[in-house]
Amino acid sequence: MFTGLLRTIILYILIIAGVRLMGKRQVGELEPSELVLSLIIADLASVPMQDYGIPLLTGVVPILTLLSVTMILSVLTMKSITFRAILCGRPSMVVRNGVLDQKEMAKTRLTVDELLEELRIKGYTDLSQIKYAILETNGQLSVLPYANQKPPAARDMKVSVEEGGLPWVVVSDGKLLERNLKALGHDRPWLDKQLSQRGCRDMAEVFLLLVDEGDAVYFARKDA
Amino acid sequence: MKRLYIAAALLILLLGTSLANGMYAQSITGRMREQLHQAQAQAEQDSWDRAEALTRQAYEDWQSRHFYFHTTMRHSDTDQVLRGFRSVLEYIRLQEPDQYNAANADLIAQLELLAEMEQPSAANVL
Repeated sequence: MFTGLLRTIILYILIIAGVRLMGKRQVGELEPSELVLSLIIADLASVPMQDYGIPLLTGVVPILTLLSVTMILSVLTMKSITFRAILCGRPSMVVRNGVLDQKEMAKTRLTVDELLEELRIKGYTDLSQIKYAILETNGQLSVLPYANQKPPAARDMKVSVEEGGLPWVVVSDGKLLERNLKALGHDRPWLDKQLSQRGCRDMAEVFLLLVDEGDAVYFARKDA
Repeated sequence: MKRLYIAAALLILLLGTSLANGMYAQSITGRMREQLHQAQAQAEQDSWDRAEALTRQAYEDWQSRHFYFHTTMRHSDTDQVLRGFRSVLEYIRLQEPDQYNAANADLIAQLELLAEMEQPSAANVL
């Protein structure tokens, strides 16, 4: 048990260091510690699941150890900026004022092709449109174009638009979600009225009914 | 902070339990090994009945802790110890000194290794 516990901690730290050294591009959407946790836990759980000759505790003890260490690391990450930088790394600015930072790209082992591909995915084909491109700690590329390349917002055009608010699901596949209806400040008679206005007599005929905070209703009837 | 305390407490509990487990394994296998050594000494003096009683006592001790051994140690190791006890008891019944001595020494070594595996040592961790 003790051996398993200590080995788990050592291997966990070792794999985190390995993932950190692999660089941000390999991480994907998870932080290094989260990626390592998901990689190891799946494997640890599957071994005693398949091999009946191994006590369940040999899987349970490392999993509990990992969860505890991860919890401690996540709290330390929240409390300490230095620790956060060690564990998760820092964002890397790979494009600054439309100019590639080659040193930073080499440091993160990001090739020009990969950068251009990421930019194309985000809808940018011209590097000169980009003020900043930042490779985040979770491996995602954030792109901030120059102000004159950004699509204009309603505020820029000085147009007033109505705030719709978040649409809530009130009826889903013929079933009423009473809690959502109440949260919107409405009752059953109000809903019945909305349904009858749309030529619907029975709730079972409704596929989807959304209501937003401004009382705008989206209605979809169930296919016959 | 509450999460930190819970995680730290769980880690300390796991550490404490694993250290206690190591000591417990050492203590019970140590007792069994002692009984097996005594049984061997009795057998060497041709006192086979006494040797059988001591070995059976160790075997019953093992059987009474079957749940503990089965839940904390690899089943292949515990099964091997069980087979060892059966062989030793059979050699005592047949009063075969050479084969008994070899089987008993093997069983003592297996018990020693079983407990050794649970000890908090650098060799085990590495």
